[in-house]
Amino acid sequence: MKAFFDKIKQNEFYKMWFKDALPYITGAILLSVFQIVTFATTKNPWGVSGVFANWGAWLYQLIGGSVDNWYYFSSPGAQATLEAGIINHGSTWRNIGIIFGALFATLAASGFKIKKLKSYKQVIAASLGGLLMGYGARIAFGCNIGALFSGISSMSLSGWVFGAFMFIGAIVGSKLLVKYFM
Amino acid sequence: MSKEVVLDCFGEACPVPLVKAEKALEKLEINDILIVQIDHSCAMKNVPEWARKQGHNVEIEEIDDGEWEVIIEKVK
Repeated sequence: MKAFFDKIKQNEFYKMWFKDALPYITGAILLSVFQIVTFATTKNPWGVSGVFANWGAWLYQLIGGSVDNWYYFSSPGAQATLEAGIINHGSTWRNIGIIFGALFATLAASGFKIKKLKSYKQVIAASLGGLLMGYGARIAFGCNIGALFSGISSMSLSGWVFGAFMFIGAIVGSKLLVKYFM
Repeated sequence: MSKEVVLDCFGEACPVPLVKAEKALEKLEINDILIVQIDHSCAMKNVPEWARKQGHNVEIEEIDDGEWEVIIEKVK
């Protein structure tokens, strides 16, 4: 068994496809192709972070809450999605696919590792960053996938506006990171 | 006599390893070696890329599952 895996490790196609990171251009082409497939089959552009809002709503309903009067979920479309449930929510399955796909990729490259927390500052930075990203993505009605990537690829000006301000945000964020969290 | 400095960046996410490596290399003399220890695969791409662009000699060693050492020899 060990000899078998040692042999795979030496295989040039294993190295090319699984071990080494794909070149940026290959990644870009694959992302483009799959987002076209997504658009063509589901009639909706690819989005990631909107799903989390739905997960939150279902979780809230699970403990007896109601989001019927929330502005965010007030459209008939949003209500229909919530009523259909998580099992029938295609985007949920796509997000789960992303998580398991990423897990498979690190396992296939034998790069899986549970990382240690280095300091309490990391916890604060990660929690703060996550909250800001999540909140920002919802009030912008999209993240770097739904608003930027899907926006620009459907020739929408809003995607470019989102991109410009995301770039400014990244500069400010990096400066703050170096100043307070390093 | 050239010296060897180990920079522990285990558990750090991008862009922290790159920023730390930049700062550490600045303090070194020519021919010194900087060993950046990383476990974040995207730093595996951007740290060597940056060092090679600067013209330094770079080698990558996989020391364990998901752990790498980027060995940078400062040449200028």
